[in-house]
Amino acid sequence: MMTYLKQLYKTSYPFRFLLFGIVLSFLPLLSDLDIIEFSALTTWAQIIIFAVVALGLNLLLGFSGLISLSTAGFMGFGAYTITFLSNRFDLPFMLAILITLAIAAAIGVFIGLLSLRVEGIYLAIATLFVGEILQQIYKQVDWFSGGFSGVRFHYPQFNLIFTTIELTRNQTFIFLVACLVLVMTVIYNIINSRTGRALMAMSRSEHAAQAMGINILKYRLVAFVTSTVIASFSGILYASFMRGVEPTTWNLNLSLFIIAMVVVGGYKSIFGMFLGAFVIHGIPTFWLNEMFASIPGFAYIFSGVLIIVIIMFYSVGLIHIHHDIKKLYLKIKPYVIKAYKKLFTKKQEKGDKNA
Amino acid sequence: METTLRIFFSSLETGSVYALASLGIVLIFRTSKTTNFAQGVIGTFNGYIAATLFLKWGWGIWEVTACALFTAFLTGILIDTIIIRPASKVNPVSKQIITLGLIMIILGILPWLFGIDFLSLPRFIPITESTRISVLGASITYNAIFVILVSSTLMGLLFWFLKYTKWGLAIRVTAADDTTSKLMGVPTKTVTMISWATAAMFGTLAAIFIAPQTNVNPLMLADVQINAFFAAVLGGFTSFIGPVVGAFILAISKNLSLIYISDEWGNVIVYLLVLVVLFIKPYGLFGKKGVKKV
Amino acid sequence: MRKTILNINNLSMQFGGLKAVDDLSFDIKENEIVGLIGPNGAGKTTVFNCITQFYKDDTGEIIFENKAGKIVDLNKVSVTKVINHGLVRTFQNVELVKDLSIIDNVLIGGHNQYKTGVLGHILKTKWAKLEEKAQYEKALKILKFLNLDGLKDFYAYGQPYGILKKIEIARTLMCNPKLIILDEPAAGLNDVETKELAELIHQIKDEYKCSILLVEHDMGFVMDICDRICAISFGKLLAFDTPKNIQSNKTVQEAYLGGNDDE
Repeated sequence: MMTYLKQLYKTSYPFRFLLFGIVLSFLPLLSDLDIIEFSALTTWAQIIIFAVVALGLNLLLGFSGLISLSTAGFMGFGAYTITFLSNRFDLPFMLAILITLAIAAAIGVFIGLLSLRVEGIYLAIATLFVGEILQQIYKQVDWFSGGFSGVRFHYPQFNLIFTTIELTRNQTFIFLVACLVLVMTVIYNIINSRTGRALMAMSRSEHAAQAMGINILKYRLVAFVTSTVIASFSGILYASFMRGVEPTTWNLNLSLFIIAMVVVGGYKSIFGMFLGAFVIHGIPTFWLNEMFASIPGFAYIFSGVLIIVIIMFYSVGLIHIHHDIKKLYLKIKPYVIKAYKKLFTKKQEKGDKNA
Repeated sequence: METTLRIFFSSLETGSVYALASLGIVLIFRTSKTTNFAQGVIGTFNGYIAATLFLKWGWGIWEVTACALFTAFLTGILIDTIIIRPASKVNPVSKQIITLGLIMIILGILPWLFGIDFLSLPRFIPITESTRISVLGASITYNAIFVILVSSTLMGLLFWFLKYTKWGLAIRVTAADDTTSKLMGVPTKTVTMISWATAAMFGTLAAIFIAPQTNVNPLMLADVQINAFFAAVLGGFTSFIGPVVGAFILAISKNLSLIYISDEWGNVIVYLLVLVVLFIKPYGLFGKKGVKKV
Repeated sequence: MRKTILNINNLSMQFGGLKAVDDLSFDIKENEIVGLIGPNGAGKTTVFNCITQFYKDDTGEIIFENKAGKIVDLNKVSVTKVINHGLVRTFQNVELVKDLSIIDNVLIGGHNQYKTGVLGHILKTKWAKLEEKAQYEKALKILKFLNLDGLKDFYAYGQPYGILKKIEIARTLMCNPKLIILDEPAAGLNDVETKELAELIHQIKDEYKCSILLVEHDMGFVMDICDRICAISFGKLLAFDTPKNIQSNKTVQEAYLGGNDDE
C-alpha cells in the first residue's frame, strides 16, 4: 500500500495536488483549536482564491507571453454576477456558476478577437481599458452591483432533493481548497497536452508554430478566454467566502498584485502560484504590514521590488529555490564534514593525550 | 457653432496633454522595445514633487515646474540605468512586467513621502474675466492657450530634433534596429537614456497641466495614460506623428460623445470604436506593417 | 518517369521596389532531393516563404500534389494549413521551444494530427489519452530513427547546435510529410556532422518516401546529395539541372564569382 502511494506520488501530479489539498483542509481545524487566529483563516482563504486566479493568469503570462490587466476586473465580474444571479433570480449555486463562467467566456472571446489579431501588446492596452469599464460598472450601475455600498452574498448553498443546505465557514474553506485542487488539475492537464505545447510554441517562435499548423489567433484566444474564465471563477469563490462584494476591490492594483504572484511564484509552475500568492498576499498580511506600519504603501513597494528583482536575477521564480538550496548544500557539505571531522579528531587526539 | 467651437477648444487642450503622454510612451516603445505602463506614475511622482514644493515651500508655479522637470529628467535616467538597461536581455513580456512593478513601487512610495492627503497645483495663468478671450461666442482661457502652445512647441521641437539632428537620427535608427545601430557606433545606451528622460519630462508636464482639474493624487494620470495608450494604438506605435494625431482625434471624439451621447458612458463608446478600428487597421492609422523576417 | 509533386510557375515577389523573386519556375519530383542555390540575397529564403505561405503577396502559381494525392494551389491555403497537405519546413535559425523537452518539441510537429479538443484534454478522456499515447510512440520512433531517443526528456535548451538541427528535422517528420523544405540544414555544423546529415537526409528520403527541397551554401554538400539543383541570382532562374551540369554552367559560375567586369 505504502509503496503504491509512493509510486503514485512520484508519477502523478494530480495526486500531489490532492495531497496538498488534504493538508490545506486541516487549516479550519487549526483555527477551531485556536492555534491560528480566526482572521488568519480568512487570509488563507484569500491566498487560495488568489492562487486560483494566478493559475489562470499563468496560462497567459507564462505560457503564451501575453499580458492582461483586467484580471481583477474579471474577478469582480464573477463575484458580482454570481451574486446577481443568485439574489435576483434565485438560481441554484451550480447553475449560477455555469452561467457566470459562460458569460465571462463570451466577453473574453469578444475582447480577444478585437485585440489579439496582430500584436500581443494590444491585449494589455485593451484590457487596461476593459478593467476601467468594469470598475465603472461596479461603481455606477446600481441595479447590478449595488453601487458604492456593494452587495451581500452567502456561503455556497446546494440544493439536495428535499432541502437546501448552506455550508458553514469551515466547510466553505474546504470547498475553496477543493476548487483549488480542481483548477490545478485542469491547468496541469492543459499544459501537458497539445494545447499547452501549442501555447509555448507560439509564444517562443511564432513562425515555427505557424509552420507546424498552429493557428496563433486561436491559441491566443484559448489562453485569454481560459484565464478570463478562471479569474471569474475565483471571483465567485471570493464572493462565496467573503459573503459579499465591494466595488473598490477590483482595480488595476489588484491585477498588478496577481501578476506579481505569477512572476514571483515562477512562470509555468503550478505549485508556484500558491507560493506566489502566499508571498505577495500572505507574508505582508501575516507579518510585514504590522512591522512596517509607518509606511502606508509598504505592500506595494514589497511586491514591486520583488517583481523587478525576481525578473532580473531569478527569473525561474521562487518555487525553484529549493533546487538552489540543495545545490548550495551539496557544495558546502564536504567542507562541513571536513570541518566537523577536524574538530572531532582533534578532540579525540586531545583525549588520547590526556589518557 | 458656439458649442462646436467650445468642444474644439477644450479638445485641443486635453488632446495636447494626451499627445505629450503618448509621445513619451512611443519614444520608449521605439527605443527600449517595451510598452511603459509606468509613464503615468512617473509623471505623477514628479507632479507630487511640484505640488509639495508649491504648498510647503511656497514656490511659484513656474519655479516648481522647472524643478519638477529637472527631477523628472533624473528619474528617467535613474530608471533606465538601474533597471531597464540591466534588464535589456529579458523577454518582452517580462520587460513590460518590470514597468508594472515600477507602478507598484511608485504607488507605494507616494503616500510614504508625500502623505495621504491630496495636493493641488494652480494654473499657470489664473482664470479671471480678463484672462480669457472669446471667439464667436466660445471662450478660451489664456491658460488653455498656453498649454496648447507649450505642448505643440515641444512636439514641434521633438519632431525637428528627430528629423534634422544627429541625435534624432540616432534615436530613429535605434528604433529601427538597435543591434545594427550598436554595430554602426550609435551610442544606443545614451539614446535609450535620453528617451526615458524625455518621456518622464513629457509625463510630468502632462501631470502639471492636468493637475488644476484633477488635483494631485496617485491616480491623477490614470485617465490620461489610458488615452495616451489608445492614441498610440490608434495612430500606430511605429510612427511618431501618428500618436499625436490619434491623441487629438481621441480628445475630440470623446468630448463629442460625452456631450451628445452619454456623459457617463461616452468615453467607453469611443474606446470601443478605437478597438474596432484596430480590428480593421491592425497597425493603426499611420503605422506600417514591418516585414517580419522568417 | 517520376511524378511531379510541386510545380512553381512564374513566381514573383516584391518588397517595395525590390524584386526578391522574379518570374521563377521550377519543379520537384516524387522522391527527389532538389537544392536551391544562389549568392547571398538571391531570394532563396523568400522562395521558401512563398511556398510555405508566410508571404502572401506573391504572384504566380504554386501547385502541389498533397499527401492524399490531390492537386492543390498552395496560394489559396493559409500558412497554418500548409502542413496538413504534407508540406513542412525547418528554419535558418533553429526555431525550437527551448524550455520544453526534446520529445515535446517533436510532438509539436504532430499538432494537426490530433482529433481531440481542449475539453477532451482537460477532462483527460480515454480518447485523448489514447491519442496522446499514439503520438508519443510515433515521436519516440522518430527520435530512435535519428538516434536521439536517449535525450528525449532533456530540455532543448543548452543542447549542441547539431542536435538542435536534428530535433527540427525530427519535428518535420511527425506530419507524415510528402515534401520537406530545409533552410540551410548544414549551416553551423562541422565536417563530420555535415557528412552525417547528408546520410540522414538520404535515409529520410528512403524511409519516409518524401521529397526534399533545401537551401544550402556548402557546395560540396549540395552537389553531393541533390538530384537536381536550381540556381538563382537576384530572384531570377539561372539554371535548373543536374549537379554536374550546374558545375560546368557558365552563367552560374559568373553569378558566384561576380561576373568579370574587365572583359
